[in-house]
Amino acid sequence: MSAGDRPEGAIPTPAPVRWPHRHLLDVDALTRPEIDLVMRTADEMHDVLARPIPKVPALRGLGVTILFYEASTRTRVSFEVAAKNLSADVVNIAAASSSVSKGESLVDTVRTVEALGADMIVMRHGVSGAPYLAAEVFGGSVLNGGDGWHAHPSQALLDLYTMRSRLPGGSLEGRKVVILGDVLHSRVARSNVWTLTAMGADLWLCGPTTLLRGFDAWAARGAAGRRFTVTSDVGAALRDADVVMALRIQKERMASGLLPSLREYAARYGLTSERLRAARPGALVMHPGPLNEGVEIAADVAVDPRSVITDQVANGVAVRMALLYLMAGARRTEAGA
Amino acid sequence: MSANGGHDATICGWAVDPAAGREGAVEAVVRGGVLERLTWLSGSAADGLGPTGRLILPGLVDMHAHFREPGNEDAETVATGLAAAARGGFTAVALMPNTTPALDDPSVLARVRASAAATGSPVRVLAYGAVTAGRKGETLSAMGELADAGVVGFSDDGASVGSATLMRNALAYAGAFGLPIVDHPEDATQTAGAEASEGYVATVLGLRGWPVAAEAGSVARSIAILADVVRDVPGARLHLTHLSTAASIAHVRAAKAAGLPVTCDVTPHHLAFTDEWVAGSRRWAWEALDAEGRARDPWADGALAAPPFDTSLRVNPPLRPAEDAAACRAALRDGTADAIATDHAPHTAVDKHVEFGWAANGISGIETALSTVLAAVAAGEVPLMRAVALLTSGPAAVLGPRAGLRPGLRLGEPADLVVVDADASWAVSAASLRSKGKNTPLLGRAVPGAVRLVLAGGRVAHAEG
Repeated sequence: MSAGDRPEGAIPTPAPVRWPHRHLLDVDALTRPEIDLVMRTADEMHDVLARPIPKVPALRGLGVTILFYEASTRTRVSFEVAAKNLSADVVNIAAASSSVSKGESLVDTVRTVEALGADMIVMRHGVSGAPYLAAEVFGGSVLNGGDGWHAHPSQALLDLYTMRSRLPGGSLEGRKVVILGDVLHSRVARSNVWTLTAMGADLWLCGPTTLLRGFDAWAARGAAGRRFTVTSDVGAALRDADVVMALRIQKERMASGLLPSLREYAARYGLTSERLRAARPGALVMHPGPLNEGVEIAADVAVDPRSVITDQVANGVAVRMALLYLMAGARRTEAGA
Repeated sequence: MSANGGHDATICGWAVDPAAGREGAVEAVVRGGVLERLTWLSGSAADGLGPTGRLILPGLVDMHAHFREPGNEDAETVATGLAAAARGGFTAVALMPNTTPALDDPSVLARVRASAAATGSPVRVLAYGAVTAGRKGETLSAMGELADAGVVGFSDDGASVGSATLMRNALAYAGAFGLPIVDHPEDATQTAGAEASEGYVATVLGLRGWPVAAEAGSVARSIAILADVVRDVPGARLHLTHLSTAASIAHVRAAKAAGLPVTCDVTPHHLAFTDEWVAGSRRWAWEALDAEGRARDPWADGALAAPPFDTSLRVNPPLRPAEDAAACRAALRDGTADAIATDHAPHTAVDKHVEFGWAANGISGIETALSTVLAAVAAGEVPLMRAVALLTSGPAAVLGPRAGLRPGLRLGEPADLVVVDADASWAVSAASLRSKGKNTPLLGRAVPGAVRLVLAGGRVAHAEG
């Protein structure tokens, strides 16, 4: 798309802050004003979603390819709905079932996708850093839909959006947020470290020591005000918490010797209504999904009024619409510059 | 070129000759390829000559390089590897046997030698034999035959000799020939899938942690075995290659103090690069330490200049935090380390231009080794004389008399020397590298130390300008 045919504004431009990022590969470099811009834009998108026909022409004529190398339902569908709501032309590639399994390289796949007309790629990959390789060779924009253990920017931003919309006062400043579970393998936890500390939250990471490996080293730096607490003491973590986010535990953690059993995990770290009593009344319960009910989260907690898990899913579409919209704007700015 | 075919040159510069224990301003005269005269200059004759200008060094020795032939000639050949070595200032290289097939019997050695002879390069080619047949870690290679054929040691480099029993037998068997086992210390049970040194940077980047204990534990194990073996086989020798952690170095320091026949080397990348390069930093390791000697935080101090996950930084062992790199340099200074070895590991784009976790391990480093070391020297991290020793007499001593290397500026002998302008920088680029392997994080960077002339055995191995 050239600079000339800017879509007419069905969405008011929310921005005194410019969105400068052609790609969104991580959240480590996002400033607080940029995060606020995403939140405000997501608010606009939330309003769009409330319309009878939740569709705007903002990305009309733009090709968005959703290139997923890992199985995913909620993130893939969420991006697809978001892109279609913005009138983009959406192509879905489940790369595990394409010629990738015949040994096609990521670089070649991305070049092919570009030649087929993609302006943006939303990418999910099991290897940390893979979207950076895509960004290196792709002429358009790459939006990281989750890479290995590294980052899941749209998830962290929708988590933040959900917290802000449900916490009294709408601010994370000084709020105690606990991320509980398999932190080691979690890109959601890593991205939330950046966004939540940027917003001034009192962040706690909690889980068995084997699943916190390396995070003490990170917390020990805590430079530039990015402080958080790492503990395996679930009681201390949950005490007076404002938000508790449980992370999925996978069975393969037992095979690799990181945990004795799911039974023991559930007994020691599972988010039960009894444990949740230590948190503040009305504390939010979150989970990035998919859930293992009865393991990291008790079935009654998942559907408790305090649970905002379905909000997370619904907000995901608004936040992803905001990201696609802002990145398309950055593309236009670049093309016009 | 003189009438008899040898090189003629008169070179003024700052000579550094560890073999003679001497450095200073000289005028060197080479006639017919022979170092005919070496005049040590003083007073006004020495004006403009100094340790930061034109250097005249003995030809460098790289005791750890991969030239990929036979089997992976798309990544490097003996011919391109030798051109790269010469360009880097090396006049002798010892090649690792992890070729396809592995160099585990004399026929493969003969093939490598034939390739080297066909190049006409004056750079000396030495080779290690594999410790185990096919490098499979199961049974001993044809060690005696390989020793007779002239290998300079044995190594299963790329992996450790995993079985402690086999390591014991290999040390004892090779010890009878006085040849070292050159071990790549790595406890593979701790490194399955590992991508970056365990700690802050790996955690932030979501890379699988590569524990310090995987190297240090293996080092300690091999030293313990050596201590047993030398009681029966006094000729047994252990060399630990590419040490990267303070803990490993501490084990070697203690073993040396106990009088064990153990030696070790450090690579240029482990002394000068750090794990924060994987996050996008490109400052030298000595610039990444704070006033208390702890690694600085590149996310907090704006050091992240390049995109993260550059696969040219994926290497085994991984780049370590700045504290470990500092320990490597301390080992160079205090004699715990015996050599700087490049671990030159060229790879094709097919193997490197892929996802970080799937990229082949290794850095193409033989052309930038001297420059990297000179950067450390310029920063005051390693004295010049010591640095040159670690690139010449140090590795020659590790390889021992059977290798027949006598680096030094020796009058009346065929000249084997490097002329390098320490104060001139050169731009590292894919086009400027002679190696087929363009997998270096220094691409696009200007580094100090431009090699002008390399004479090997009296013949020109490399000349510029």
